Amino acid sequence: MTGRSFVEVRNLSRVFDVSKPWLNRVIEHEERKLLRAVTDVSFDIGKRETVALVGESGSGKSTVAKMVVGLLEPTGGSVTIDGVDMWSLADAEKRQALRRRIQMIFQDPYASLNPRWRVGSIIADPICAFGLAKDRAEIEHQVGELLRLVGLDPADAAKYPHEFSGGQRQRICIARALSSKPEFLVADEPTSALDVSVQAQILNLMRELQDRLGLTYLFISHNLAVVRHMATRIGVMYLGRIVEISPSEELFRTPRHPYAKMLLDAVPDLAMTGRPRKMVEGEIPNPISPPPGCAFNPRCPAVLERCRREVPELSATATASSAHAIACHAVAEGRI
Amino acid sequence: MTETPTLSVRNLRIEFPTRRGTLVAVDDVSFDIAPGEVLGIVGESGAGKSLTGTAIIGLLEPPGRIAGGEIRLNGQRIDNLAREAMRPIRGKRIGMVFQDPLTSLNPLYRIGDQIIETIRTHLPMSEREARARAIDLLTEVGIQGAERRIDSYPHEFSGGMRQRVVLALALCAEPDLIIADEPTTALDVSIQAQIIQLLKRLCRERGTAVMLITHDMGVIAETANRVAVMYAGRIAEIGPVREVIKSAHHPYTRGLMGSIPSLEGTGDRLTQIPGSMPRLTAIPKGCAFNPRCPHAFDRCRTERPDLMPVDHSLAACWLVAPQTAEAPQ
Repeated sequence: MTGRSFVEVRNLSRVFDVSKPWLNRVIEHEERKLLRAVTDVSFDIGKRETVALVGESGSGKSTVAKMVVGLLEPTGGSVTIDGVDMWSLADAEKRQALRRRIQMIFQDPYASLNPRWRVGSIIADPICAFGLAKDRAEIEHQVGELLRLVGLDPADAAKYPHEFSGGQRQRICIARALSSKPEFLVADEPTSALDVSVQAQILNLMRELQDRLGLTYLFISHNLAVVRHMATRIGVMYLGRIVEISPSEELFRTPRHPYAKMLLDAVPDLAMTGRPRKMVEGEIPNPISPPPGCAFNPRCPAVLERCRREVPELSATATASSAHAIACHAVAEGRI
Repeated sequence: MTETPTLSVRNLRIEFPTRRGTLVAVDDVSFDIAPGEVLGIVGESGAGKSLTGTAIIGLLEPPGRIAGGEIRLNGQRIDNLAREAMRPIRGKRIGMVFQDPLTSLNPLYRIGDQIIETIRTHLPMSEREARARAIDLLTEVGIQGAERRIDSYPHEFSGGMRQRVVLALALCAEPDLIIADEPTTALDVSIQAQIIQLLKRLCRERGTAVMLITHDMGVIAETANRVAVMYAGRIAEIGPVREVIKSAHHPYTRGLMGSIPSLEGTGDRLTQIPGSMPRLTAIPKGCAFNPRCPHAFDRCRTERPDLMPVDHSLAACWLVAPQTAEAPQ
């Protein structure tokens, strides 16, 4: 890759200790239980790019998002944003300056706004915290501008969150995220709690804001159609690992990893082309005791002995473009 | 000769009396479901789709009440039955599947006991017979090793497996009608596909009528024979699923379809319907959709349209009325 990307995630891992307390372990002769939520995840995000992570529940996509914004400390690997390591102590001062430039939008707009605060104070909070305005009048002016930017009325600043519908609340969340003038937004399932017509409004708004303000997005979703609409590059996650990462177009045209294919086939066919929806057997295994080798091997139609022993590395293949990497023995061996 | 529909709803009206006046949550809703047919009910939150379902099985929570219309199951009127008379119908003749499989199962009882209890409530069977039937049902809904798993507790199952158990519970007394309220919303796509296939197969094999309530057009497209689109407590459009999805007549349905991002999408802006669904306290005069409708004209603001036939569907829109010259774009 030429030069450094705006956001670099390298070998990111997170292990949660879910064992019972020490005394119980001793009495009941139990081993320590570790849940590997994220293992060895690497990707880059260029400026003004939207990278999306998709996957089913328990695939670790939200954990990655939390580590990228700095809400959760990784147990391994690094997140570097604009040359500053998010978790190294040496960069503490620079990191503080970086905080303003990263913001997050959460899934549930009902839970992420304080019901006792007026909308104006909610949006003004980051402005005050980072000292981005000189006096009250300037804060009020900025809050009004932000509300207008997300399609609300400046007069709404005096209202409380319960006076707004779900879609309007998500707009408030976006206004709050934008108030510190960030360059990088991490959106964790921003539209999953919303109705489709409202989802369309929010997705359009996020696209418009990206064009106008030159934002960079990390977009987390379980909905492939939404991801297809938003992202320039997509990483498919399964049980804590990225199994395929590729430019959006290419992933939807020629998915290579059996799991990515399965996910695409499982999406209901709205165009009613009569495409039969392929049945997928089985479910995501328990992340505390993942199967050895490739985590997808118990559900994979192209499984061989090697898949049950060796974890496949994420690597580019001869048949795909250089930006397209797949973690699958069958693809690497040219079997599928 | 016309067959008696399994379920027939006529002019259903559900009201909530409040201090500030009566709210009409569902108004003038009529539809039929034939044996073996899957009718999809779609709409956004607050459209009244779940309320219609709860009213049919008689589980409407007070102060909500059925204020008008009638509900018939195989020709028998069930909306005015007393609580006690409704009990043998609910569960035996109408099965129910809710959104969250964990809250539909009692966490303190083994799933086998829950199924056996339901079977024995409705069918004259001994404990042993009921257990054999429970194992058959669990096998039928795709739970492997049903003889062993019948003695598990709900927490030992994954979300998809629990929804299969709930489906087995709904089926255990051979109901004529299953009301499935967002049965796949809490599940991942790959599991969702499995449950939908299962639901389709079961109703095809048994001739059970299904009322499938969901907000997900994709699920409807794959499962339903006919679909009713609800908006602000009324049916905006009802018709064969292909016609409603491919060439909708009501502007709301068209807006709804346009706002769904598609896998084949070009990545352009999504069509968006401006504004949001009106609150029940402030349903606009005339057509409830008129403030958001791109084609609204004077008549829409004053007069409420009823369902009017157009092609094979019915749509509640003045644009499809015979006397309206201008055709929708």
